[in-house]
Amino acid sequence: MPHKPVESHHFEALGTNCSLFAVDASRRALLEADFWVRGLGARLTRFSSDSELSRFNASAGRWQDISPKLESLLRESMRAYETSSGLVNVAILRSMEAVGYTRPLSEGRPVATELRACPLPALPDVLAVRPGAARLQRGAGIDLGGIAKGWMADRLRDSLGPNALANLGGDLSAGGLGPAGGGWPVGLGGATVLLRDQGAATSSVRRRRWGGEHHHLIDPRTGLPARTGLEEVSVVATSGVEAEIVAKTALLVGPELAPAYCAAHALAWWLSP
Amino acid sequence: MRAAILKAGATLLTVAATALSALYVTSHLKNPAAPLQPAVLSTSRASVVSAPGGTLTLGPSVQPSSAQPVTSTYAS
Repeated sequence: MPHKPVESHHFEALGTNCSLFAVDASRRALLEADFWVRGLGARLTRFSSDSELSRFNASAGRWQDISPKLESLLRESMRAYETSSGLVNVAILRSMEAVGYTRPLSEGRPVATELRACPLPALPDVLAVRPGAARLQRGAGIDLGGIAKGWMADRLRDSLGPNALANLGGDLSAGGLGPAGGGWPVGLGGATVLLRDQGAATSSVRRRRWGGEHHHLIDPRTGLPARTGLEEVSVVATSGVEAEIVAKTALLVGPELAPAYCAAHALAWWLSP
Repeated sequence: MRAAILKAGATLLTVAATALSALYVTSHLKNPAAPLQPAVLSTSRASVVSAPGGTLTLGPSVQPSSAQPVTSTYAS
């Protein structure tokens, strides 16, 4: 089958590199997708005090009107909490701040703080969502960094047409048969695999590190940077957001349980100790 | 007389319900060979590739390729 021409667009957003690929899509469609990513990223970042997420965090203790997209993400977060048995918990903001991750890494390395164990609260205990509004318990805070990119990649894939791929900082979603007809060729754990209507994501403690023991992947059971015996997990799943949830959960359950967990929840997986 | 009829009726009803239940259960035996739900990928259907730095496992719905990848999943 001959290769179909692929339109591609690369840009920086969400504090990382983003790439869009589409067969039979216009340049304008890719640029509109770029604009969508930047706009939504500005609304969901915790690093800007006037973002919708920061306003929601600041409203803790009372019901706050939220946009349909934030509502959808919060509902997805609740689902992620349930399917990961609590290991993917977006109520992680206070732990992130406690380990010193208070600003984008592009603005400088965080200051390492003294690590103190403080298990996260159960997400359903601190977050309630109803149509058009949500309420956060006083003292709790939400960080959507562990789920938003996969969720956004899934929506981009759908918006770019039936044969497209969106990669937001390594969390990607591929739809259709790709340029050659067998699927989108994607690098995973040093190999190339073909993805068709699937997503892939990587969770790692090798990046975003500072101060020796500090990194951005918090274990909700301790509130501390995770140390499980696995350093990196890449996963292929039915969607980008599902891959992100499974990769993070597999890394947190550690090398003993990760193979069985991935066998039950992933379509392909790379485990690196 | 009426009490005896009621007792007999209740006894008959109990015996009939027990017999029908036993009949239903024996005709709907659990199939011990039924697949697990939700399905768990058998390791025999997955291909495991050892590579420098880790282990890659591919399920039957993900095919390897020799094509040049257009992009990769990575930690950011």
